[in-house]
Amino acid sequence: MMTRISVLLLLSLLSACASYSGASRPGAPVSTSEPASVRDAAEPVAPVQEAARSFPVQVPPQRVDIPAQPETAPPPPEPVPETPRERAAPAGTPASTLLASVDQAIADGDLERAAAVSERALRISPRDGYLWYRLASIRYQQQRYGEAEGFARRALSFAGNDGDLSREINNLLGQISQR
Amino acid sequence: MVLLLVAAIAIWCVWIDYKIRRDFSALQWALPARLYARPVELYAGAHLSAADLTDTLQRLGYREANQVNEPGEYNASSSRVRLWTRGFSFWDGDEPSVYVDVDFLGRRVNSLRGNEATGELALARLEPVEIAQINPDTGEDRLPLALSDVPEHLVNAVIAVEDQRFYSHVGVDPIGIARAFVTNIRAGSIVQGGSTLTQQLIKNLYLTEEQTLRRKIEEALMALALELHFSKDEILGAYMNEIFLGQDGNRAIHGFALAAEHYFGRPLDELELDELALLAGLPRGASFYHPRRNPERATDRRNVVLAQMMNQGFITQQQMEQAQAQELSVSARPTQRGSGYPAFMDLVRNDLSRDYDADALQTEGLRIFTTLDLRVQNTMEAALGDAVAAVEVPDGPDRPAGDPLEAAMVITDASTGDIRAVAGSRRPGYTGFNRALRAVRPIGSLVKPAVVLTALESGDFTLASILSDAPVTIALDNGDSWSPRNYDNQMYGDVYLYDSLQRSLNLATVDMGMKVGVADVVETLRELGLESNPPPFPSVLLGSVNMSPLNVAQMYQTLASNGFRSPLRAVEAVTTGTGERLARYGIETQQVADPADMFLLEWAMQGVFERGTARNMINRLDNNLPLAGKTGTTNDLRDSWFAGYGSDLVGVVWLGHDDNRETGLTGSSGALRVWTDIMGRLDIQPRQSFAPSDIVFQRVAEQPVRSGNGLDCSTAVMLPFRAGQLPDPATRCDNTDTLLDTLIDRVRNLNP
Repeated sequence: MMTRISVLLLLSLLSACASYSGASRPGAPVSTSEPASVRDAAEPVAPVQEAARSFPVQVPPQRVDIPAQPETAPPPPEPVPETPRERAAPAGTPASTLLASVDQAIADGDLERAAAVSERALRISPRDGYLWYRLASIRYQQQRYGEAEGFARRALSFAGNDGDLSREINNLLGQISQR
Repeated sequence: MVLLLVAAIAIWCVWIDYKIRRDFSALQWALPARLYARPVELYAGAHLSAADLTDTLQRLGYREANQVNEPGEYNASSSRVRLWTRGFSFWDGDEPSVYVDVDFLGRRVNSLRGNEATGELALARLEPVEIAQINPDTGEDRLPLALSDVPEHLVNAVIAVEDQRFYSHVGVDPIGIARAFVTNIRAGSIVQGGSTLTQQLIKNLYLTEEQTLRRKIEEALMALALELHFSKDEILGAYMNEIFLGQDGNRAIHGFALAAEHYFGRPLDELELDELALLAGLPRGASFYHPRRNPERATDRRNVVLAQMMNQGFITQQQMEQAQAQELSVSARPTQRGSGYPAFMDLVRNDLSRDYDADALQTEGLRIFTTLDLRVQNTMEAALGDAVAAVEVPDGPDRPAGDPLEAAMVITDASTGDIRAVAGSRRPGYTGFNRALRAVRPIGSLVKPAVVLTALESGDFTLASILSDAPVTIALDNGDSWSPRNYDNQMYGDVYLYDSLQRSLNLATVDMGMKVGVADVVETLRELGLESNPPPFPSVLLGSVNMSPLNVAQMYQTLASNGFRSPLRAVEAVTTGTGERLARYGIETQQVADPADMFLLEWAMQGVFERGTARNMINRLDNNLPLAGKTGTTNDLRDSWFAGYGSDLVGVVWLGHDDNRETGLTGSSGALRVWTDIMGRLDIQPRQSFAPSDIVFQRVAEQPVRSGNGLDCSTAVMLPFRAGQLPDPATRCDNTDTLLDTLIDRVRNLNP
């Protein structure tokens, strides 16, 4: 009984207290996670959008921060080396399905996703010179010329007797060497 | 006096009110990072058997059904699996939930079909299997879920059984207490609780078991404050995620979404009424009503929940009766996590520690996508222990007892450098010393391909160069001298370069290495991936270079991808808990050797299986050859190595003792056998090598002679050469190449 009375008493007190608060009601507390804070970051808790930091290149090979919003000033894209569509794998194959996603990602301006999907295609067809070439030209567009060159040379090693593809790869290598 | 008391109570109340507003609006659960294996890709030609796929589906908690009608169900026969994927938000885009009908031919996917809704289907990707997590110090784990995503039956069940007047009380509920009292008296046991959901939430948030009056008043006050400042839905949503629902080792299961995974191995939205009712019964006593340990109590409790739901009009009597008739369908064990893959996790932590501190990994709910291939890892783990035991030499009079024979193995993707499997011990799940990363040992003859490559790159050597396998004493800079010997203490005189590699002849290798220069060999090793920078002592030529199995895998990776070095990687991408990309670690590749030189080296290394130190395995690898590889043995048989590769995988095996005593094994009698056992089970794919345009083939006398006298072309071998760098006329058996021969040579597959 005593408990009951004090609860009711305090309830009224609390109502009084509440009037001063003026605290804006926060959103539902069911939130999942904050962006990871990254060691050595300049600001302790910087939103990912602003996180344009570079990292020493070690294993893991590439630490790339990807702006969450593509529109946050990506580097001006390089002129796209022409990628002949007819060389892409026949329709209805895993490679053609994924190449369509690559094209979509490029159209969306998300070059890192384009690179990731190209890598996914390469896991399925690791000896496809055209796929290596696509990856090279994506890295070139991202102005990551060192990587672009590695992929282009790898592409060339799989180009075999495909003269057209070899020529395109050599063109790309020429463009890279001018950087 | 009374005034003073009222003032004190008022201050207390202000403090509680402040505390509740501060804590609850900033409520951020510490969420463990979750690590995922590489997802299984389904496409025609994929290297996957029906059994492999079924195993993965079971790990993902798919339910076997006669008819596949919804996501999370499958139906399997020996050569056909039908399933409905759940879909997943990957870092490279959303994978839709699709129905797939997979037809198998042996260990490969033969074809893929969708249904009317999916249409033609070339490719489908399963959700990734969660392999591990990095837990917060609190040990709490949960999968936070918005209230709107919680199934309605579950919300109703919880309200029915825990707090019927939730939507009408103010945080504490005297009427509810009275009603519960009466209900419990009638039922003869406790079926309803008196404390409101709000009070239970407070209790969970502040983790107190204290049952004093002061504590109770404080809880009640906090509940009132909470209700004053936050909406019913906010409170209910927090409750659904906060409530403690079980213990899994040192991991505490909080919230209904994780409880669904824990008890049923399936996501909450796939559960049926009876299953949801079971979960709703758990807050009362997660251990007392534990469905695996106490199935009868759990069933009774579930049925009480269902009855309450019906009494309050949430379900019909028929629904209740149907649900009450169901068997408990909890999964037999918590969703399997395999061995925990400690050696691979070690590697992942190593990589991640460069970019993320421990706190971020333990609290921010990151999703980490790794390159671990469960088919490869599990096959390796299942076979490694027995394979090592099969080659182990028992301790005898000449071999003192000590630490048992140990092992390490690394398997990578031959093309990209993705680490597909790692073992740091012969025992899967062993969490101690990780030999794959940390057993840094001399590599013995594994170094020889680098010596050969250096010689070929110098332009002064071909595969048919004649080396001198004869005793030699080399004066060292420090005044000592070095007199290497062959493993069998024999000498073979004049030998071809390719033969010296295949038979792993030390003296011939030293002859060649001293001519090209040890410093150049070290340089080649570093190009291939060697991390250290050893001084260029002549003993380097025979492998007195220390490397970990992982570093050896890097070196042989470069050989397997024909002179393109791709840094090994274990982590592919990191996202937030909601799938937002934070980082991606892409493939890289750099050309470090000329394709023609690599082709010549590979030809010689394929011969290691065909006729060299690995030929004893030729019958066991019938379907897999050609493969390339090299054995390695160190002084006094302390280390037994084998590194080899096909077109898909690179595998490195090390055997040795932690105390560095003798193993009694050569590379060939030890590591090679283990390698063959495991890579054979993995169905390693034959190498496919095509000669670059500047390669020509020539017949060469089988017996090397240094002058034209004695040239015997009755037995000749066909060897590849770089055009313009033909063999010495003294050994050449065809001088008159027709144009046709040259053409044939150019398109010839490497397979001899």
